[in-house]
Amino acid sequence: MKTSLALAPMYAAMMGVPVLMVLYLLALLFVPAAAHYVFVPLIIIGLLAFGISGMVEVYVKGHAKSPALSMFNHPKKEKGMNISELPGNPAELIVTRLNAGAKEADRQIYALHISRFTSVLDMLCAVKEKGDQTLSFRYSCRMGICGSCAMVINGKPALACETNAMKNLRNGAINVQPMQAHPILKDLVCDLDEFFAKHLSVTPRLYRRDKKGQYEAQEEYPQKQSQIQEFLPYSYCIMCGLCMDACPVVNVNPDFIGPQPLSQAYRYYKDSRDQLNVKRLNEIDTLEGLWGCEYAGACSKVCPKGVDPASAIQLMKKDTMKSNITNEKKG
Amino acid sequence: MTEVLDFDIVVLGSGIAGMSAAIHASKSQNEKVRIAVISKLHAMRSHSIAAEGGISGVLYPGQNDDSYDLHAFDTIKGSDYLADQDAVSILVKNAPKEIRFFEHLGVPWIREENEEIQFRAFGGMSVKRTAFAADKTGFFMLRALYDYLTGIENIKIFHEYYITHLLLSEKRFAGLFGINLATGERVLFKAKACIIATGGYARVFGFTTTSYSSTGDGIAMAYRAGVPLKDMEFIQFHPTALVPSGILITEASRGEGAYLKNVDGERFMKDYAPAKMELAPRDIVSRAIITEINKGKGLIQEGSGMKYVNLDLRHLGKDKINFKLPMIREITIKNLGLDPIEEPIPVRPAAHFTMGGIHTDINGSVMSADSSIPIAGLWAAGECGCVSIHGSNRLGSNSLSQCAVWGRITGIEAARHASQHKGQHPVSPNKLVGNAEKDLDRLIAMDGDESPYSIRERMQNAMEEHMYVFRTAKGMRQALKEILELKRLSKRIGIEDKGKIFNTNMRDAFEISNLLELSEVSIRSAINRKESRGAHAVLEYKERDDREWLKHTIATYSKKGPKLSYIPVKITNWKPKPREY
Repeated sequence: MKTSLALAPMYAAMMGVPVLMVLYLLALLFVPAAAHYVFVPLIIIGLLAFGISGMVEVYVKGHAKSPALSMFNHPKKEKGMNISELPGNPAELIVTRLNAGAKEADRQIYALHISRFTSVLDMLCAVKEKGDQTLSFRYSCRMGICGSCAMVINGKPALACETNAMKNLRNGAINVQPMQAHPILKDLVCDLDEFFAKHLSVTPRLYRRDKKGQYEAQEEYPQKQSQIQEFLPYSYCIMCGLCMDACPVVNVNPDFIGPQPLSQAYRYYKDSRDQLNVKRLNEIDTLEGLWGCEYAGACSKVCPKGVDPASAIQLMKKDTMKSNITNEKKG
Repeated sequence: MTEVLDFDIVVLGSGIAGMSAAIHASKSQNEKVRIAVISKLHAMRSHSIAAEGGISGVLYPGQNDDSYDLHAFDTIKGSDYLADQDAVSILVKNAPKEIRFFEHLGVPWIREENEEIQFRAFGGMSVKRTAFAADKTGFFMLRALYDYLTGIENIKIFHEYYITHLLLSEKRFAGLFGINLATGERVLFKAKACIIATGGYARVFGFTTTSYSSTGDGIAMAYRAGVPLKDMEFIQFHPTALVPSGILITEASRGEGAYLKNVDGERFMKDYAPAKMELAPRDIVSRAIITEINKGKGLIQEGSGMKYVNLDLRHLGKDKINFKLPMIREITIKNLGLDPIEEPIPVRPAAHFTMGGIHTDINGSVMSADSSIPIAGLWAAGECGCVSIHGSNRLGSNSLSQCAVWGRITGIEAARHASQHKGQHPVSPNKLVGNAEKDLDRLIAMDGDESPYSIRERMQNAMEEHMYVFRTAKGMRQALKEILELKRLSKRIGIEDKGKIFNTNMRDAFEISNLLELSEVSIRSAINRKESRGAHAVLEYKERDDREWLKHTIATYSKKGPKLSYIPVKITNWKPKPREY
């Protein structure tokens, strides 16, 4: 994991140079003379930094622990045709791995061939099957619905099965790391027990006062399709944990319950069949609950299923304040 | 050291059948029985989650000319008359209750204006009787079950425990033995009753709609423990799997009106099932697609070289696709950069569902090998069990109802059994653990040259070549030869990962040995059935042969391979007739 820090100067330089150029152009408008002296050297330094950090990158690659592997990842064969012989595009998979007992993670680089159909999960499976059987990662449905293969791909939390390899190559490589907000068990596998406990802490189920009647289910609860649409967008959560990983607050304050559970509280809060109503808000009307959210919005950005926890949380904050005011008036 | 855990009931598997079983076991005994739900995945990620199109059930009998009898008839005709008709009656009478139960757990079934639950058309169903939540029905059902189950006292979920052995003693359930994947520690689950709900084994094929985890573990461990398997030759190929990945494109897309078209843009189903067209049962549509491709009427995908036909949704329009088939659109866009609003989807048949499985009676009780007596304390529910209601070909949307109905039945039965057997376990499994421990020791120490993964690849290639939509006697024999060779090689595999923590290498090796075992049973059962029925289409036999083959295959473990025998099909009201659509 530490080795990825070596890339920081390169990224900083990559970001910095264009910013400097814009500032330079702006400065040219107002103080043309000073602009040359201040910005031209800065830009040169920036470009140099980019070059040097690029060399650091090469250096890190050269010292990665395992030898590079070569393999073909090919889709299933049509009868009489060997697709592995079709030309594939070379690509590298750079995996941050943590082996049990080791204090520091290390990076391993695997060389493969990919096609336009290859997902990052396909690359990982190819490594496991034809290169390095010791690599551990989670996966199951490979169609973006089971929520197993959440990881950090090229620095962004994403599902491996939904990430196309060809479209996401950076310098010919895909970089994968485990999620950072959950404890790591091995390689790309995180321990999600605490995350599941947080999910269960918000009473994430339809609450009915008549529990027996709910279980016996003699006839449907009345509900209009328009009422379903109220909670539907929040019911797509696949419990992958990516929003928790992206949330800056969860990353610094493990007590913050986080975007996933809060979005699920909202899903049931907005269901017209639910009878817990505003009590749901009272449960999370705390600093570790609703008020822990600082509205960075990263959760909504990374959700692979389009759930918008950030909006759910703000809407619940609003309703909480409303109900608190009403209660004060009553009191 | 093996840790010993003690429960009243263990449920192996956490899909819709498994979680339903745990819930109803608990509720039927006022939450007093102690239940373990064991999953090799995180429990909420089981393959049921990938079910798309819907769940069948006659919710409003009389409406729309529908009745339980009609649902039963459709199912039996769809099964090519191999379904047990008494079991089908249980399915159709109980399915509506399950749809309402899931509504009460929060599933957002799409509703009509008058708030009644809406239905969509499905293959082989005479009328619309499939309830649905867009095209994520399994997802909504499984998530609702997980959320409801976790609110019940005395049910403990064991996420990511991989069970390797079913322990039986003198026709009684004794325990389950396996590994906690997170720590690598070994565990023995003792209980008075066990429900196996581990799903099917369609991963014997590489081109499949199913999850990587659909490896039939429960069926394989039951088989090794001496439990008979039933109708293992019948594997369903879903007509419309996305090319090249095999991801499921739901039958509901055709239910909503999508067309299948060949290279000339013709709706070729008119030549195969003129009355039902695209909504014929899956075995018929799959054969039609492969026939078209073999006639040179398919298309070839650039880059993969795979042959396919087109599934055309364009005329459904943007609004209908977005409201009723949003996941299909999401999948094709994310996987192929193809928007079904603008372009047809490339599809071909892929292994999808295994009709066969653990031999049970109509209550899901697992039968013993040499008699018609059930094994005490052991049930099987869902795809891993063969009740049998699907016979040789399942109708779409009957599987979710099967999982829910037999999840409930087996849960209630197991709970009754457990509460009647208070106190000490009748059988001590401790002695039985020794062999299971040795098996694992042997596996983890394996240091040979063969890769378990290349064995799996060869197995899947053999299955795809010879056990696909059309089979031949010669091809099946060749497949058997290859599988036997692979079984020999599998004694010389090497396990590279010798670590304890999250060792998926060892789990994979075990899964692959399960798949090998089941593929052998499937091929041998298929070779022996000298007719074409449902999903088992053999070129040498043009017709179904009711005089000789209106019977279930039973396969029992022996060291030399499965021993086959046959039992009659239960016919109640519906005499076999020619099957036309």
